[in-house]
Amino acid sequence: MRLLVVEDEPRISEIIKAALERAEFAVDTVRLRADAREALANTAYDAAILDLGLPDGDGLNLLAELRPAGSRIPILILTARDAVEDRVLGLDAGADDYLVKPFAMSELVARTKALLRRPGAALGTTLKAGNIVFDTIGRDVSVAGVPLQLPRREAAILEHLLRRQGRVVPKSVLEEKLYGIDDELESNAVPVHVHHLRRKLQDAAASAEIHTVRGVGYLLAETKG
Amino acid sequence: MSFGQFRSLQVRLAVRLAVLYVAAAAIAVGVLVYQVYDTAGSLNDRELGLRAEDLARALVADGTGQPRLDLPAKLAAAYAAAPEDDLFAIRDTNGRVIAASPDEFGERVAKWPPATDEPSYFRLSGAGSEDFGSETYYGLSVALQTAAGPMWISVARTEGSDALIRSILREFVVNAIWVSPLLMLATLAIGIFAIRNGLKPVREVSRMAASIGPDATSVRLPEQDLPTEIMPLVASINHALDRLEKGFAVQREFTANAAHELRTPLAIINSALETMDGNSELEKLRTDVARMNRLVEQLLRVARLDSVALEFGTVDLNKVASLAVAAMAPWAIAQGKAIAFAGTEWPVNVKANVHALEDALRNLIENAVAHAPAGTEVTVTVDRAGRIDVADRGRGVPRKDRENIFKRFWRGAGEKKEGAGLGLAIVSEIMRAHRGSVSVAENPGGGAVFTLSFPPLQTGDSKIARRYIAGDAA
Ligand SMILES: Nc1ncnc2c1ncn2[C@@H]1O[C@H](COP(=O)(O)OP(=O)(O)OP(=O)(O)O)[C@@H](O)[C@H]1O
Ligand SMILES: [Mg+2]
Repeated sequence: MRLLVVEDEPRISEIIKAALERAEFAVDTVRLRADAREALANTAYDAAILDLGLPDGDGLNLLAELRPAGSRIPILILTARDAVEDRVLGLDAGADDYLVKPFAMSELVARTKALLRRPGAALGTTLKAGNIVFDTIGRDVSVAGVPLQLPRREAAILEHLLRRQGRVVPKSVLEEKLYGIDDELESNAVPVHVHHLRRKLQDAAASAEIHTVRGVGYLLAETKG
Repeated sequence: MSFGQFRSLQVRLAVRLAVLYVAAAAIAVGVLVYQVYDTAGSLNDRELGLRAEDLARALVADGTGQPRLDLPAKLAAAYAAAPEDDLFAIRDTNGRVIAASPDEFGERVAKWPPATDEPSYFRLSGAGSEDFGSETYYGLSVALQTAAGPMWISVARTEGSDALIRSILREFVVNAIWVSPLLMLATLAIGIFAIRNGLKPVREVSRMAASIGPDATSVRLPEQDLPTEIMPLVASINHALDRLEKGFAVQREFTANAAHELRTPLAIINSALETMDGNSELEKLRTDVARMNRLVEQLLRVARLDSVALEFGTVDLNKVASLAVAAMAPWAIAQGKAIAFAGTEWPVNVKANVHALEDALRNLIENAVAHAPAGTEVTVTVDRAGRIDVADRGRGVPRKDRENIFKRFWRGAGEKKEGAGLGLAIVSEIMRAHRGSVSVAENPGGGAVFTLSFPPLQTGDSKIARRYIAGDAA
């Protein structure tokens, strides 16, 4: 899996590269916007990490060129300006996610993996959290290598929580997912399915668990060891 | 404040104008009255002069050359009708009385000095005498040429005979006195109105000047429609504002630069520390850097709030609060705490800046999660009246600290290392900018509740809320 890092600060660039390489990505780094444009044109990267403040111009402009030109490469922007407006601008211009400096390298790696798990992105076939593995093609679930049988609706919920792991998935979003399977949805269908799913994961000694954020939704996170 | 000063200036001007007007009116009335009396007096003099001439024409010389008064019948009747009101006496140049009515008057006149060609006026008191009663007379003596030679003629009439004129005059004066307070009130009213109207642009300018502050430096005072006296003042205030705004812009730029400059090295240190394999010293170093990070973050937030103007829009508190809970949930859960959101069924709209509001909520949630015991739940609740509560089950905030916690750099004794002591100061700044407030209370059952309160909802919203309640009851 090949990533492009566009960052002008050599030390940061170096550290990002080291962290991503430890996570077994292949990483190219460039300093300038112009170099980034060229690299993206010549190589099929799976994702790009883009700093907004570059010596030859704003990273936002690069985004604004890429998206209308039809590129769907997942992009994570980095910014030192935490003015929230900047983040919003970045997302509006077509970025998939953002991180505000200073950030933890573990966070950067986790976000990058999440980007690649998005539908249509490179990591689309297997989803992992702790010892849970979900094959999106065969739709098989295993915990610690042992296959786990799940009803369709519970599998759908688990898939979505895995795709957005570490983030809260609103209950309404899960309800929408279930509508596709089941036209007559009980008002408490989602909590009931989540309850069963949680029990099954616990019984299988999964190292990730589903947390409830009451009034908002659910979140799947690896259990702290 | 400034309004009160204007009002006093207005009143002062109006009162002075009114006093001026009343003084002018008094002088005008005085002059008028004097003139009228004067005119009345000279009318009287002319009348007397005419009478003297009538008498002179009626004087003839008889056969012996002796002068004799031959009054036409009408005139004779007139004098006879009121002998005690209209008097006359005719003397020859030797002072001998030729004719008089009544005789008593003749006797008096006989003792008088000779008359001259120029009429001389006299006032005569009849007090005590039989014929004249207590009347006062006014008259003239003049030497006139007659058919019987030069004669001295004196005529007089009672002073009261110009009573009509005098009563008309008196009425005029009384009217003038009676009307003048009304006139005075009218001028005061017109004066105040005119002055208020004239000072309107000034008031407008002062109202605008009051809105100028660190969050609104782009305001300039309007220079049109201003009295020329105030124009230079306003113009130089505007120039001062230009310079001030530039100063603020420099300050803002400095803040942004500082952010960039401080964050990059911090990010480098941070990630370098992360990749190192450590002993306990490294662990301590990481904590120190985390603390420094926090301090820089919070300091920059304060700087930004101090210098950047907030833009406001209509915001649903449910939306912002649930997003904030969703954003903070992974962190809270990683700390071993639960977090929950409870909203209202209908939107609770307020005027707010979403990003500032997010900042405020994040700070409250951070505090609540930091103080909540493991395994307990932090709850964020939106209330229909425009409030957000952030409640935890921690140790709460002692009553004596409740004022202090909102001060910059104030931290409770025995707090863990990472805090900067700026979180709640930022929250209260943000709420001040929203004309709302933040307060702390005890959570029933233990812990602290922090409440963000926004100004009352717009009428539209409360109407919807009311309809909702009504529908509920039905
Ligand atoms: N939920 C709470 N329960 C108990 N005490 C609290 C709570 N929230 C704040 N406090 C007290 O108020 C103090 C000030 O809080 P504030 O958020 O301003 O600073 P901080 O959290 O120490 O630092 P930071 O600027 O990093 O947020 C805290 O140090 C703590 O003693
Ligand atoms: Mg705090």
